[in-house]
Amino acid sequence: MRSSRPLSVIVPVRDGSATLARTLTAILASELPRDDYELIVVDDASSDSSAELAARYADTVVRLTMRKSGAAYARNRGAELAQGEVLAFVDADAMVRPHTLPRMLQMLAEQPGLDAVSGSHEQTAGAPNLVSQYWNLLLHFGEQMQAGTSGNVASPCAIIRRQVFLSAGMYDEWRFATARLEGIEFAHRLEDSGRNVFSSTDLTITGLKHWNLRSLCSEVWDRSALLARSLGYQRTRAAVPSDVVFTLSRALAPAFAVLCVVAFSAAFLPTPDTAAKAAIVLLGTIALNFPAYRFFAKIRGIPFAIVVAPLHLLMQAINGLGLCAGWVLRDAVGDREPDAATQAYAEVGVEIWPPVPRASGR
Amino acid sequence: MDLSQGIAMVPVSAETSPTVDRPTQAQAFADAMGTERADDRRASGLSFGRANDRGVPRRTPRVSLIVVLPENHVMSPDRLAEGLRAHGNQDVDVVVACAGQPTNLGALQRSVGDAQFLLAPAGTSTEDLRELAMRQVPGDIVTLLSGALLPTAGADTSLLMTS
Repeated sequence: MRSSRPLSVIVPVRDGSATLARTLTAILASELPRDDYELIVVDDASSDSSAELAARYADTVVRLTMRKSGAAYARNRGAELAQGEVLAFVDADAMVRPHTLPRMLQMLAEQPGLDAVSGSHEQTAGAPNLVSQYWNLLLHFGEQMQAGTSGNVASPCAIIRRQVFLSAGMYDEWRFATARLEGIEFAHRLEDSGRNVFSSTDLTITGLKHWNLRSLCSEVWDRSALLARSLGYQRTRAAVPSDVVFTLSRALAPAFAVLCVVAFSAAFLPTPDTAAKAAIVLLGTIALNFPAYRFFAKIRGIPFAIVVAPLHLLMQAINGLGLCAGWVLRDAVGDREPDAATQAYAEVGVEIWPPVPRASGR
Repeated sequence: MDLSQGIAMVPVSAETSPTVDRPTQAQAFADAMGTERADDRRASGLSFGRANDRGVPRRTPRVSLIVVLPENHVMSPDRLAEGLRAHGNQDVDVVVACAGQPTNLGALQRSVGDAQFLLAPAGTSTEDLRELAMRQVPGDIVTLLSGALLPTAGADTSLLMTS
């Protein structure tokens, strides 16, 4: 139905009316001729007016109904419709800079051996509150620490050759209906098949999502538990060391070791002062997190680093619990699977719109 | 702002037979599927399904095409028809969204017989037109085109202007 264009920009959205307009406006402000790309928005059964809002800007709007299926599923539906030889995926709560997409395209054009490029987060979040600023800076910190290696070929912004995307089996929509981990798994799969993925720290986006303490705790828990359960911590650590789960857990294992040593030693110490023992553990943990705090202080000042230090410890604690829960579930229950009805539909091969989720390579 | 105020959906051949419903190919397909009944859709008040149709299981996605004609945009019926033929096929629901009523709506309608026309008040912005039309179309996959970008047909006759 549409004329072929070099680039297809795909934006999955679910209940994203708060940020979608800014996201799409930023894409349209890219330093690219409008005829050179198509803009596809895939609405994942939103309960708000995301689809109608998307229609103000997009060339194509896909409405997925019946059930919420996740960003991986939505991106795959967008990719199936895309006409471009290159696919760009931009989160509905991410704002690209005018040069982000053109430079990504340019990198693919200049380096035939390069298959995908992923962007990274700016230092400053779009939402002004402390939790959003902390989370955005933490993501930025991890990406800076592991610049140039593979990344998350999905969030917040990534570009990939269409043929590579299809031949790699697209995103795993079977397991990843939540937690934004499909990009990590996909990057891992690309690397396993010898594809080249580059994670750029220069090509940045602004995260627009407003995080509060509850949503951030939920995000960290989901990501940690799902990563450990579905992907395996060690397996993916080698592929995507810049992910925020690894950023959080980098100091967690040594901190846990310190805790064990202090607790063991305390059993032989004459003093019954538990507060002193706890203080020792706390100081040890803070010392192990010093690189992150130093980074926070360098970018946003010492007061900011001091204020977010307890928040960082809380996220590490949730991260540790989530990883443990994921490991236990992996051994006790197995990998994550969709609900029984979805599996039954998939097994029978029912032809229906929206299609039944399918796993890559299955 | 309530974008729906003052808009009107004009069915096919409204000048001659305003009550005639539209025997769409999508309807025929749905009937063949056995998932939707034609009578149910006629009862909806529009000549094609609305948003509530989207909750019904289908084998394939329903496709809609929205053509946006901004205010004072000059469009010949031939060009519109050619453009729709180039972008659509028989299984596509077509809605032409106009800001203001074209001076010769009948000729435009005759040139694109299967299309629905959404007439918004003059002065409605292009973005608002797109959003309004999106609320009306039943498609799972909705393509939005600017009337100004439709391919030019060979003969530009009977130029129309929305007012």
